[in-house]
Amino acid sequence: MAWISKNWTMIGIIKGLIVTMKHILKIGNRKTVTVQYPYERMKVAPRFRGRHAVDEDACIGCGICETTCPNSTIQIVKYGTRWFPEFNLGMCLFCGLCVDACPMNALKMTGEYELADYTRESLIYGPERILFKKEVSK
Amino acid sequence: METETLLLNMGPVHPSTHGVLRFKLRMDGEIIRDCQIVVGYLHRGTEKFGEMKTYLQFIPYTDRLDYIAAMPNNYAYVKAVEELAGIEVPQRAEYIRVLVMELNRIVNHLVFMGSLLLDLGASTMIMYGFRERENALQLYESLCGARMTFNYIRPGGVREDLPDGFIPKLNEFIKDMEKRIVDYEELVNGNEIFLMRTKNIGVISAEEAINYGMTGPSMRGSGVDHDIRKLEPYSIYQDLDFRACMRREGDSYARYLVRVDEMRESLHILKQIVDTLPEGKTINQRYSFAPNTGAPSAVTSYFPRIFTPPEGEVYSRIEAPKGELGFFVASDGTTKPYRVKIRSPSFCNLVALPKMVVGLKIPDLIAAFGTIDIVLGDVDR
Amino acid sequence: MWTGDTMITNPNAYDLIVAILNAIGVYNIILGFFQAQGMEYVLRIIIVLVEVVVVVVFALVTVMFLSWLERKMFAVVQSRYGPMVTGPRGLFQPIADGIKLLGKEDIIPATADRWIFTLAPFIVFVSVLLVFIPLPFGESLILSDLRVGLLYIIAISAITPVSILLAGWASNNKYSLMGAIRAVAQDISYTIPLAITAIAVVVFVGSLSTVDIVNAQQGYWFGVIPKWFIFLQPLGFILFLIACIAEMGRIPFDFQESEQELVAGFFTEYSGMKFAMFFLAEYAHLFAVSGIIVTIFLGGWTGPAIPLIPIQITSLVYFVIKTYAVIFFAMWLRDTVPRVRIDQLLYLGWKIMIPLALLNLLFAAFVVTAGVI
Repeated sequence: MAWISKNWTMIGIIKGLIVTMKHILKIGNRKTVTVQYPYERMKVAPRFRGRHAVDEDACIGCGICETTCPNSTIQIVKYGTRWFPEFNLGMCLFCGLCVDACPMNALKMTGEYELADYTRESLIYGPERILFKKEVSK
Repeated sequence: METETLLLNMGPVHPSTHGVLRFKLRMDGEIIRDCQIVVGYLHRGTEKFGEMKTYLQFIPYTDRLDYIAAMPNNYAYVKAVEELAGIEVPQRAEYIRVLVMELNRIVNHLVFMGSLLLDLGASTMIMYGFRERENALQLYESLCGARMTFNYIRPGGVREDLPDGFIPKLNEFIKDMEKRIVDYEELVNGNEIFLMRTKNIGVISAEEAINYGMTGPSMRGSGVDHDIRKLEPYSIYQDLDFRACMRREGDSYARYLVRVDEMRESLHILKQIVDTLPEGKTINQRYSFAPNTGAPSAVTSYFPRIFTPPEGEVYSRIEAPKGELGFFVASDGTTKPYRVKIRSPSFCNLVALPKMVVGLKIPDLIAAFGTIDIVLGDVDR
Repeated sequence: MWTGDTMITNPNAYDLIVAILNAIGVYNIILGFFQAQGMEYVLRIIIVLVEVVVVVVFALVTVMFLSWLERKMFAVVQSRYGPMVTGPRGLFQPIADGIKLLGKEDIIPATADRWIFTLAPFIVFVSVLLVFIPLPFGESLILSDLRVGLLYIIAISAITPVSILLAGWASNNKYSLMGAIRAVAQDISYTIPLAITAIAVVVFVGSLSTVDIVNAQQGYWFGVIPKWFIFLQPLGFILFLIACIAEMGRIPFDFQESEQELVAGFFTEYSGMKFAMFFLAEYAHLFAVSGIIVTIFLGGWTGPAIPLIPIQITSLVYFVIKTYAVIFFAMWLRDTVPRVRIDQLLYLGWKIMIPLALLNLLFAAFVVTAGVI
């Protein structure tokens, strides 16, 4: 501890105080970076992996997404006369392997991330629930 | 005078143990006489999952090992699979891999600095670190869609190419980061109170570090010049110009300085990569076809579900931000590995903690423990 | 102060209120009303009660404002906003905190000493409020000009360790007791350099009364530099500042409240409003101590007089500005530096600050005796 008498000017602490003062006065590129969440939201990137969306016309119900999923999140269920995937978002890793694997490119992940809910059953997103994106044919 | 030692339990739920980790300390007054570490509160059986999932399906599980810097985990596993099956990787993919891994090194060291200073009482540094981390995570989000569990690297290359506008934003990040590191050094490096808390605390000599199996920046702070990127260069590291940062003293302050230097070296590497990024494919030709091009494919890589590497076993290691991360993958010719063993850097570094702290007080334990830089996902797997 | 055989008392707030009432013209009427019933002491009690209520309300409002200010400043340093939702820019956040703490269950451990457990936080808070008595907020804006004002302040701040020990003992928890003992050790070891440095200032003034200390700092040297004691005793100022920050238990000396120590120190077992009392007492202590620093070293309420505004108001404004400058520095320091370890803290207090404070006192005594100042 004898070095205290050598460094008695405490210049290190003073330099630190100057850095903090620069932040108080917002000199340089030191502005406030908070995004106040419920009132303002940040825009997600186009490649963001959020909730899934299935293209009704392109999906053939082959089940490749079901076998590729690491976590057994997807189940293929019958909906009307066709078979479509049903996602259990409570178990989903949001890894995107199902999107990579789909042979028809029918599956994509939207930018929706506010998926919290009250019961486990309500986290199972079946084909009828806003899971459909009808592609407008050109 | 006869005295008894007191058994003190710094329990799993504690603000400064970086996760759920338990210390059983034997104290003589204020001095620690013995320290036992109890791990396993976050054990999730990742290695067992390696035997139950195919080679492709296991990659998201490797993300969750060291969740602060997830790219090197992906890469270590994928490198093992590539060695096992003899898959070639195009040049552009290698450059992109090193780019994201070095960016992850910077991100990891920011969290390290922040949490070390938060344990010591100055809470401004963690906010600055997370402010910079936010910019890097937005880069990652534009690249692969996720901020923490990337699932980006595939055997044979990467999942998809860089988006438009990535390189200019990366350049901006690099310029910003250089100025901020100067800020951090002024705020922390010379601070006399920080020096009082970390100099000559938690000293471990070079021989002891090697004997305990410590690797990474914690060991390079003791004077052992061992960096896997220099010793067994993998990927494109032999073409890049950087140096392995090292200090000699072996105390907490040296380990801290090594990581600040490493952040600078990573920025240097990033600048070189941005300058020399080649054009080309980002995935091995064999795994890049999309089977039915009904609509333009979102991703450029399509790794098959039925992928059977030849029988054999391989141990491959890389220099993760926390140390040497090694994957031992044994294959028996089926679609699932026979055994995946993970040599995690945090677990091996943690073993040296009792040696460091015997004879010190509890605040010194916190300072020394903060500089080893562990994350519980890595320790417990 | 004594000058020979006569004693000159400085005007205090009681005289100010009487003067205001006289100026309005009602004082004699009210005095006559009370005298008619033979109870003129009731008038004195009422006036004193009014003063005390004003000061207590000022203290409480300041404490609430200070806790908001601390959070906002902490946030600005870290490039973020701080409380923004409750009230305009978060101004009602302390009220929201208070309502939350009032609503919490008041737990008293079964084996704890009930009376002392309940009493300890209030002793802390009241002893801090007592420091406001000889604090000169402005010219003749002082509750009571004690002739031994400075000694009284130092003595009252010595009650705080006693109440901390009561709180730690009454919790019946060995970690609380250890925390309380450590807090008392910290308090005692920093009261000594504080007292010695204060005495060095008293040597210049010749009186312990706070108003005399402020009056001795009026005027200018060379017409430009004000005659504040910080220029005469820079070392004393720094030592006093560090000793005050250590007494209050703020970062860099706040190992008591660090969660990294095993428990939360001596107030582990407290919940609800009693915990809020400790919390409020800390901010009130911050304001009181800053007021003392301003009084002793930074010239109290002295400042250039503005024409047309009565000097009482301008002096109050100067005092508040200077006090907030010291508070700003204490908060600024808190945001920047990490904590000091307990044994390093005691080393600093006993082996470095006491010799320096004694040296300072020697220097001051030498300067005064040699007739330089």
